[in-house]
Amino acid sequence: MSRTIVIDPVTRIEGHSKITIQLDDRGEVVDAHFHVTQFRGFERITQGRPVHEMPALMARICGICPVSHLVASAKAVDDILAVEPPPTGVDLRRIINLGQIVQSNALSFFHLSSPDLLFGFDADPAVRNILGVARQNPQLAKDGIALRRWGQQIIEWVAGKRIHPEGIVPGGVAWPLTAEVRDRILDGVPEAIAAVERAIAWYKTDMLRWEDEAATFGNFRSAFMALVDRDGNVDHYGGWLRVVDADGKYLADRVDPKLFNDYIGEAVEPWSYLKSTYWKAMGYPDGIYRVGPLARVNVADRMGTPRADEELEKFRWRVGRVAGSSFHYHYARLIDTLHSIEKIEQLLRGPDILSKHVRSIAGINRNEGIGVSEAPRGTLMHHYKVDDDGIVQWVNLVIATGHNNMAMNRSVLQVARSHVKGTTITEPMLNRVEAVIRCYDPCLSCSTHALGEMALHIQLLAPDGAVLDEIAR
Amino acid sequence: MTDAGAGEGAGGRGAGGGAESRGAGGTLVVGYGNALRSDDGLGWCAAARLAEDPRLRGATVLAQHQLTPELAVDMSAASLVVLIDASATDEAGAISIRRIDAASEAGSAWSHHLEPAGLVALARELWGASPAVFTVSVGVASLDVGDRLSPTVEQALPDVVDAVAAIVEEHGRA
Repeated sequence: MSRTIVIDPVTRIEGHSKITIQLDDRGEVVDAHFHVTQFRGFERITQGRPVHEMPALMARICGICPVSHLVASAKAVDDILAVEPPPTGVDLRRIINLGQIVQSNALSFFHLSSPDLLFGFDADPAVRNILGVARQNPQLAKDGIALRRWGQQIIEWVAGKRIHPEGIVPGGVAWPLTAEVRDRILDGVPEAIAAVERAIAWYKTDMLRWEDEAATFGNFRSAFMALVDRDGNVDHYGGWLRVVDADGKYLADRVDPKLFNDYIGEAVEPWSYLKSTYWKAMGYPDGIYRVGPLARVNVADRMGTPRADEELEKFRWRVGRVAGSSFHYHYARLIDTLHSIEKIEQLLRGPDILSKHVRSIAGINRNEGIGVSEAPRGTLMHHYKVDDDGIVQWVNLVIATGHNNMAMNRSVLQVARSHVKGTTITEPMLNRVEAVIRCYDPCLSCSTHALGEMALHIQLLAPDGAVLDEIAR
Repeated sequence: MTDAGAGEGAGGRGAGGGAESRGAGGTLVVGYGNALRSDDGLGWCAAARLAEDPRLRGATVLAQHQLTPELAVDMSAASLVVLIDASATDEAGAISIRRIDAASEAGSAWSHHLEPAGLVALARELWGASPAVFTVSVGVASLDVGDRLSPTVEQALPDVVDAVAAIVEEHGRA
């Protein structure tokens, strides 16, 4: 008799989800699904709105990474206006976006995942939290708080406020940067670099402790996708799409992001509101690929900044040129953060960063526009169609968590196969199934569009739906 | 990384700076909640009024969506902290004031926000801070989508402001 284990909901991620694990007659795991169970429907809500409103509306999708949606949306509207923002406008957008990367990566690594890494995946949940981290390793906790705070301050100071900022607009940014704000941000750079480098040093020292998890946390062959600049460096704002396979071979390179529909398909499964994107050339479901910090370090030739490149070299020496285990998202996330801080400094020291020319103004010049950028969790695509008056007719959002959906499902399956023994739910299995999802740092608020925080509920079900075992916490 | 300008602020915003009232008076007031959920926006409305209130001159007044760990930094620099929130369990419009024991614990694991006791514990653990912490909460009449307070909670708003001012004044005399 086959059975199903249900984990509902999953904790310490952004949004609502549950996990079901299907057992066969012998109690062996045969399948697993990561279900996203809530729906918000921004693609429909925004139909009929003037396209100039889209960046501000789309930022409301999420309180964690509103800037990411603001950037991708503004770029899509730029496309409809057929305008190129002034160079300083682009640089300020980049700075705001990188501030977002820093604060969101800090949230994911320090606040959500470091308790697992510090105490172990089987530690008492009463200890395995940020307060426990503060007691056990106060410097780590302080560094996480300081990094997130600094990233949020950058967003606030440059774009107006930390959550749902107004500073990014179609055609560029709403106002120029002042020397006072530039200098205030630059003052924080040395401490930000020191904080993330301390975390990297700690992580590398403790890496061997997590060998078992690294071997089973989404450790499989897949493609990876990210944006790179003309020199093959990581590019969080623009550039070209590059896709590599598990051996690092290019599946595509120098692809104009606006052509993403030619390369990426979207499948819908009846058990989730989260779409599954796939590499069209490989078909569904074989065309699995991953995005986000791990993809960025796997896809790019280099990070493009000195300290991050040094760490990238060490990363590749430790885990290979193309890291296959999703556990290494944590390590990659730290390098991604280090790069972002360095890049912010580079941009702020640019000779024209205080230029008053930060926005281009135009009317509706196209009926369709696409904006693509790198969000903390991976490549983000906004695609709009408007009528001649600029009224939104159709919207499609392809979100980082959607790109990673198939990989997350496969990761849950792999962990479940390693840790599900018999027909009862065990704490080690529960902890690791949740933790593997956390590696991807999925943000379900934007991908499907959920709201709130989760408790944990697991059920073991017989084929007829009868509950055989259950855990809630 | 500096401390200046943290928080969403209690007033209007402009390029390049925080609009919150911030001072060295050692008093931190945080109104928090979802301003798009009717009465859950009470904290924002109270913070906006308190930021302009002469009785709180020198205090730092912030409006936030949630209590996040970053607030522990602000808390560590304060001798008095007042947290203003809506309550889904109290009678609509009823104001309750509670002192948070610095020795109390954050009871639960969390994701990206904290309960008041958790924030107090974090500030204590990381910076040895032990400010006097009060919560001022008001029972809600509506949590529907909307950017206005219900008449019941709107009516209670001046009393909330007075209650916070009284705490601050009393703390100043102590």
